[in-house]
Amino acid sequence: MSVVTTGLPAASTQRPRTVLVGTLFASGAALMTYFGLLAIYLFERADARSIGEEWFPEGVVELGPSGFVFWTLILSAFTVQWAVQAIQANDRTNAYVALALTGLFGAAIFNQLWFILNDTGFALAATRGQFLFSVMNGAFIIFLLIAVIFLALTTLRALLGQYGPNQSGGVVAAAMFWNSVAFMYWVTWIAIYINK
Amino acid sequence: MTESPPSQATESITPAPEAGQGLYGWISTSDHKTIGRIWLRVSVLLLLFVVVVGVLLSFERTDAGSVDLFGGDNSYFQMWSMYRLGLVLLVAMPLFVGLATIVVPMQVGSTNIAFPRLALASAWGYVIGAAITVISVLSRGGWGALDGVTSGEADAIALTLIGTGMVLVSIVLGAICVATTVVALRTSGMSLMRVPLFAWSMLVASAVWILTLPIALANVAIIYVDLRGGPLLFGNPEGSTEIYAQLAWLVEQPQIYAVAIPVLGVLGSVVPVVAGVRHSSHNAMVVLISLAGLFAIGGWSQPYFYDNTEFVVFVAFGLLATVPVIAIIGGSAATILAGKSASGLPPVHLMGALGAAVLLFFGTIGGAMRAVEPFGLAGTTVHTGVLNLVALSAVTAAIAGFWFWAPKIGGHLLPAGMGRLVMIDLIGGAFLLGMADVIAGFADAPDLMLSDSNDSLVDLMVIVSVVGAVIVALGVLGTFGSLVKAMRPGGPAPGDDPWDGHTLEWATSSPPPAGNFVETLAKVTSEAPLLDAASARDEGEES
Repeated sequence: MSVVTTGLPAASTQRPRTVLVGTLFASGAALMTYFGLLAIYLFERADARSIGEEWFPEGVVELGPSGFVFWTLILSAFTVQWAVQAIQANDRTNAYVALALTGLFGAAIFNQLWFILNDTGFALAATRGQFLFSVMNGAFIIFLLIAVIFLALTTLRALLGQYGPNQSGGVVAAAMFWNSVAFMYWVTWIAIYINK
Repeated sequence: MTESPPSQATESITPAPEAGQGLYGWISTSDHKTIGRIWLRVSVLLLLFVVVVGVLLSFERTDAGSVDLFGGDNSYFQMWSMYRLGLVLLVAMPLFVGLATIVVPMQVGSTNIAFPRLALASAWGYVIGAAITVISVLSRGGWGALDGVTSGEADAIALTLIGTGMVLVSIVLGAICVATTVVALRTSGMSLMRVPLFAWSMLVASAVWILTLPIALANVAIIYVDLRGGPLLFGNPEGSTEIYAQLAWLVEQPQIYAVAIPVLGVLGSVVPVVAGVRHSSHNAMVVLISLAGLFAIGGWSQPYFYDNTEFVVFVAFGLLATVPVIAIIGGSAATILAGKSASGLPPVHLMGALGAAVLLFFGTIGGAMRAVEPFGLAGTTVHTGVLNLVALSAVTAAIAGFWFWAPKIGGHLLPAGMGRLVMIDLIGGAFLLGMADVIAGFADAPDLMLSDSNDSLVDLMVIVSVVGAVIVALGVLGTFGSLVKAMRPGGPAPGDDPWDGHTLEWATSSPPPAGNFVETLAKVTSEAPLLDAASARDEGEES
């Protein structure tokens, strides 16, 4: 044993940080879960169309409210990257503002999704289309909730002074997960709202 | 997940403190060895349960008309699906997650696993999820039924889905911890190509599980919501086989091979140590294990996404899955032939690792034949045969890993004599059990056999599979007995490195201390740092 260990310090390594790598894997798992659901949605819709079944009642699922979610997520993707850049430049004021704005956008998206679910008035037990529309929105709300909690913890840690130019992994990881969740909705917007 | 200081990787994770005593220690520990033992103990107990179910199912099939061990067709189906999904989700995958949670951090020279609290949460999530699954299946739940259910049984089926979902999430979280450890916590000088083959195989397996099990989770979630809110998608899901059908891709090819990727890693870690030389082609092994992972990605093959348009892909995956397995067995044989000749009986871990690889080889061959349409094996017992060969290959390799890494897992050596009997039982029994179903499949025996066959070959194969199931059960009992015996205090000290190992887990004491390594590790310069150290020592003595 003594041969492979030594009193000399180990050579430095430049490994990616654990929280970044772990978040990368977790984001992959989250995306696969969500897109697994989306794939089921698309196959059921194709099946319904093939037999002439109505997927959504005419005029109920509108593009406007979901477009607000889409554009809010675009804005939040910018603000979360702003937070990353600011923390790496040790500009803490900008970092706090950017993180707070991202959180605010998150709250706005919850509000918009709640409006969409109430506005459509879909019931789980009505039709396949209404059922799966509710499932997709419910699943997205769960992932968005996880992203908001991750962002809140990161913000708390930033406020406690944990992050800086040489230690920005946590903020980068939170931004990565946030953008993964935003990507979920961008695909959803095209697959469900644009192409009804 | 917790952030780590951004300094050197080997110092970027808090060494685990000694685990506390009693139940508090089990639920509060951040020591990867204690967390791994939670996975292992529960998965070995569940292995016993699943193997007993397998024996009962085999007996039921000998005379479906008169034997009625389960009290009806619905119960038979529930236990039939319990055996298949349980063997993979409750036993084989958790065995490897547990083994990897203990061994991988030491192999890569880390003081602990990445995200130890998440790893602990995943271990307990598995325990609770598995308990819910087993209890709900025994309460006439399960993954559907053949012929209608009562409302109480429907509730039990919903509970089974919750348990299955918890187990899936737990395995994915455990896999994230293991994969992150390999990627981010390797010691100085250990490039990815120098990672020990078991750790590499767990990285590949974890990546495949992280990418595919969430699709099963999506299925479980949507079925559960459909059950509670509808049903709209599956008609009458509790009273039909629809729930199982949506999850069956987990236990069929190509996805079933994902559970056996670590088999190749165990083989790659054991063979060079027994041969006393470096692996003849470590880099090639790394590539081949990665290929095995690639051909095991099977989320696309579930009923929702899979139709005839992907048939070419299905055949290609089925055929190509055999290639890395054959090549790795060949490479291992070359290493053994190039190694030092040893007298006496082969060590238990070599028997287990080689036997598991041979079982996997037959499993992939069976799967390849299943994939080729002219054989017409779809829907026959070939499905079960391939499942048994591949999943029991994984179980055998994990148990071989117990014998190999026992000094690091529990600070004991496991008995060699009993170990050889266990390996003969497991390998022989699994071969009989699996090949009997493959051969019966060629006689068009249906996979879910509930009626007497008129084919003498099928009848003979059913008897052979009963013999195989009983022999496997004896092997599992022997394993259980050996583990219980080894846990008693007072056994002989195993020594730090009883096998003259090549990788870093053998550079620490047995059992390893909190934080794994007392001294700072020297920079790693190859895939076998302990062999390098021995060579340097020999050269120093000569000069």
